[in-house]
Formats: sequence, C-alpha cells, structure tokens
Amino acid sequence: MMSKKVLVCDDDEGILDMVSFVLEDSGFEVIPESNSLNVYSLIEKEKPDLLLLDLWMPVLSGDQVLKMLRSNPETKDLPVIVISASTEGQKIAQEAGASAFIAKPFDIDQLIDRVELMLQ
Amino acid sequence: MDSFTNENFSFSHESLQRDFELLTKAVDASISGVIITDNQQPDNPIIYCNAAFERMTGYVRNEIIGRNCRFLQKEDRGQKERKILKDAIAEGKHSVVEIRNYTKSGSLFWNELYLSPIKDEKGNITYFIGVQHDVTQRKKAEQDLKQEQQSLERKVEERTRVIKESEEYLSSIYQTVRESLIVLDPEFKVLSVNEHFLRTFKVSTAETEGQLLYDLGNGQWDIPKLKELVEQILPTSNPVENFEVEHDFPQIGHKTMLLNAYRIELEGQYKDRILIAIEDITDRREIERRKDDFLSIASHELKTPLTTIKGYVQMMERFMPEAADDKFKNIVKKTGSYVERLNSLIGELLDVSRIQTGKIELHKEPFDFDKMLYDTVEGMQTANKEFDIEISGKSVNNYVGDELQLVQVVNNLLSNAIKYSPNAHKIVVHTSLVSDFLKVSVTDYGMGISIEDQKNIFERFYRVGDIQQHFPGMGIGLYVCEQVIKKHGGTIWVESEKGKGSTFSFTLPLNERKNDE
Repeated sequence: MMSKKVLVCDDDEGILDMVSFVLEDSGFEVIPESNSLNVYSLIEKEKPDLLLLDLWMPVLSGDQVLKMLRSNPETKDLPVIVISASTEGQKIAQEAGASAFIAKPFDIDQLIDRVELMLQ
Repeated sequence: MDSFTNENFSFSHESLQRDFELLTKAVDASISGVIITDNQQPDNPIIYCNAAFERMTGYVRNEIIGRNCRFLQKEDRGQKERKILKDAIAEGKHSVVEIRNYTKSGSLFWNELYLSPIKDEKGNITYFIGVQHDVTQRKKAEQDLKQEQQSLERKVEERTRVIKESEEYLSSIYQTVRESLIVLDPEFKVLSVNEHFLRTFKVSTAETEGQLLYDLGNGQWDIPKLKELVEQILPTSNPVENFEVEHDFPQIGHKTMLLNAYRIELEGQYKDRILIAIEDITDRREIERRKDDFLSIASHELKTPLTTIKGYVQMMERFMPEAADDKFKNIVKKTGSYVERLNSLIGELLDVSRIQTGKIELHKEPFDFDKMLYDTVEGMQTANKEFDIEISGKSVNNYVGDELQLVQVVNNLLSNAIKYSPNAHKIVVHTSLVSDFLKVSVTDYGMGISIEDQKNIFERFYRVGDIQQHFPGMGIGLYVCEQVIKKHGGTIWVESEKGKGSTFSFTLPLNERKNDE
C-alpha cells in the first residue's frame, strides 16, 4: 500500500523537523512547509491526504488558510488537524472548520493515533 | 396740687384735716413705695415716706427722713440710671428708671422708680415725688429670660458652626475622592458633581448642575444602561454596586465605568436623591487586557519549543536501544517528566493571571460529558504509564458546560492524585448520576491530607506544609477547580485520611437552575 501523504505547515522549524521525524518514523510521507502562503499550491501539486496546520503564523494565519480551504470545493473535504499552543486554539479551530484539534505540547502517540484515525 | 385746690379731693365732706388723714391712709395702704423730697433744701432730702417704702427698704421712717435718695444705692454708685435721675432732677423732668437698691440688711432689690417734679407758680421745682416698685422678681425673670436667650443663641451658633463644619468636611471629602460623584434629584436632574467628575468628563459646573442627567453634554450621557440602572434597577434593589457601563463619549472617547448607586431612603429633605459614584476603569481594563495578551503570547511562545523538546524526548524513549544503560534510560525518563512540569507551570501562569483578574469565563456548550471524562483519563493514563488509572460508571452524554474548563478540573484532580501518590500506583475514577446531579470522584491511595489542611486546600496559593519542597507548583490547581465547579453551579469537596489516600469529588447540576451569576 502506498504510504499516506501528510502536509505539515508550521512556521516553527523545530516543530516542523520534529513532527516530520515522528510521522516519517510511523510510515507517513511528510511534506514540511514553514510558509503558510505556499499551502494551497502544495495541496494542488502534492495532493496530500491530510494537513497538519499551525494557527499562529505570520502573514496568513492557520484559521485563514483553513477557511479558504473549506470554501473551495476541491479542498473542502481534506482532513485538517489543527495544532496550536494558543489558549483559544480549540475554539478558533472549530470555528474555522478543522477536522480535529491537538493542543501543543502534545504527546506523540496522541498525534500518531489522531493522524491514523483521520486517514482510515 | 391743682386737683387738690380744685377740691377734687374734698371727699370727706368734713374738714381738710379729715381729707388729709384719709389721703395719708390711702398712700400708706399702697403697695408702691412713695416718697417726697424737698428740692428747696440742700441735697434734696426725703421729707415723706409711706409705709410701703419702709417695708420695701427695711428702714423705718426716722432712718429715712432727711436722707438723700441715693442712700438706697449704698456702695453701688456706678449705675448709669443715677445720671439719668440727676439730669431729670436738674431739669425738673419726669423720669422712670430701674435701679439697683439695697435694703437696710444689704440685700439687693430692683427698684422701678417714677420721679415727678412739683413746681410752684413761678415754675421753680419745689418737690419731687418718687413712686417705687420692687420689680426684683420681674427683673430676675427678665434676666433669666435674657440668659436663656443668650444661651439659646450660643447653642444655635454652635450648632450652625458644627453643621457648617460638617458640611465643609463632607464637601472636602466629596471633592477629594478620586472617583466621580453625581448627586441627582428624584427627577434625575443633577444637583451637584465633584471636581473629579468635572475633570474626567471635561465639563464645567455650569454645564452640569440643574441639567437632566441624560441631557448632559448634548445628550452624551443618554446611555441606555445608565437609564436602566437609575430607573429600573435602583428603585427595586438599593444600593447597586459594581454596575459596569461601557460608553463611547463623543468628546473623551470610549470609557469603561464601574458604578455604585445609592438612593436615599431616609425620610426628610434628601429623600429619593440618588448618589452615583463612577470609577473610570478604562485604563485598568486596558492594562489587564495587555497583561492577558502578553501572557497568552508568552505562553504560546514558550510552549512552541517545548512541543519540539517533548516530541524528541518521546522519540528518544522510542529509539532507546534494548541494551542501553539504565542510567541513560532514567535520564531520558526524568527529562520527560520535567518537560511535563514545565508545561503545567506555563499553563498555571495563565490561570493565575486569569483568576487574579477575576475572569473565569464559561463558554457553555453541550458536549458528551462521559466521553470527555474517559478521554481525559485516557490521556492522563498514556502520559503516566506507571500508574493504573481505573475508570468506571456513567453519568450523561449530553451536558451543557465549558468542556475545556472541566477537562482542566479533571486533569488537575488526576495530576494531584498522581503527584501525591509517590508510593501507590493506583487511581480510581468513578462517575455516576445522583438525583439531578452528575458526580465524579477521583480516589488515590497516596499520602492523604490532614483534617486541618483539608479546610484550606481549595484556597489560592495554599500549599500543605512540607509539601512545597517535594512537590513544586503554584498551589493554584484546586483553587481553579473550585472556581470552575462553582461557576457551573456545582460543589467540590475532599474526604481524606492521612497516610491512606484522598477522594476528591464534585457534583454538577444537570438542570440549569437560575444560579445567581
């Protein structure tokens, strides 16, 4: 079976590295991206199965990206897990149309479980 | 003596002698003292006195005749009435004076003296007739009255002074307070405002006093919430405290105000006046907001690298070679637990801030309570594999409340149970329906809490005695739990025995009651 493709967008390189490392270790193909402005073109180009999205990012915030994806028929059904350290994160994610929310810092088992659940 | 010579006094029809005797008897029968002095002789001596004069003065006739009248004043010579008498005598005029006289035994009596001159046909003053009344009683009454009046006047003055002083005192307080104060009459017209009001709202006394509250500053004060306060709330619940009003003033901008209002209920001239104290908390709110923003950003920024560290530490554990040194395994494990502690400290930082500003706001939405509880326990179990957390029972799938806050409560109770069970590894969570409440209990078999400490553990920053050294934290967890549960209308309590463990339980009402917020 082809490994599932996960697009990870977070402006923090440390988290990008770590999450890529964790997910690749669990057998996923990971596309890391630190600039939220590139998310849409990457989705078109790479056709990921899931998006892991941070909220607080410069220029274009995660919830803006998400709302944009939800309003586009081609991407409206893409599973999106929002990961954020913001106290309001869960609420913002829900309102923007996230499939799931994980608060930072998270347990890697919890992250993997959630990603796998979404991709079933 | 004209009337006498005109025979008006010829009433005996006998002789002049008889008439004279009668007249003398009549004069003696008078209660007024009567004397005649002879002005033709040196020093105007008394040549006649009646019986009443003797009684009044205590002297007998032979002690009186030949003396000048002044002998009755004894040593009390300085009286101004003497001058009046002297002038009247010199000018031959009628005179009435009230003069202090003394009886033979020396006691004072007030003498009301009528003095009238007798003239001969050439107009020379030959005699004076003096008629005297002892007016001591009247004089005394007059003096008493005067004294009474004076003392009354003094009292009135004193009272007026006290009132004025207290008015000034009140006014100085009124003008000194660093809060705006308005006094309204029952028709909501402004009676007065203090300096602070004028300064804060940039108006003058003339623009405010006498105006209808809502008309102030061209209707700037026509604030619906203020209207509601004075017209609807205040008449039924007096006084009103900490009533928050936000308003955009055209001149001075947006203001957040905290109002206390009081309607005077005391019968009298001030009845139904309304006092309004306004605290401008615009700046305070702004500072609180900035602090909250700062803490949110700080916690977000701190948690970001922590996420990476936590992930790598967990990966280290995952990649731990079977053959790795126990020391090394231990180091990795400890690193993990300290990362957790750092994470919860960052979380507490936000909680402390939110609680200190009195802001635990509930975002109530329906959610699956049992699922929340089971998920939270599972999360805790995953993170603390050396513990065995048992969960049983069920309450409701649909509960309306703040899910995130309740997750925090359960997490706090579980992490306390874990933290204070250094030698036990079992925790039991049970949930159930009790009447129209749901109940959750978290039981540990750890160190337990003494009866004295049980009373205080829900207080902010309370740490049990020697606990601080071994189990660091801010002492905020249970305080947060209690606040959150209370805000949901529930109760939280503990049952514990030292050395045997503790059970923390909370209940939440299922039927939304009218809780006073």
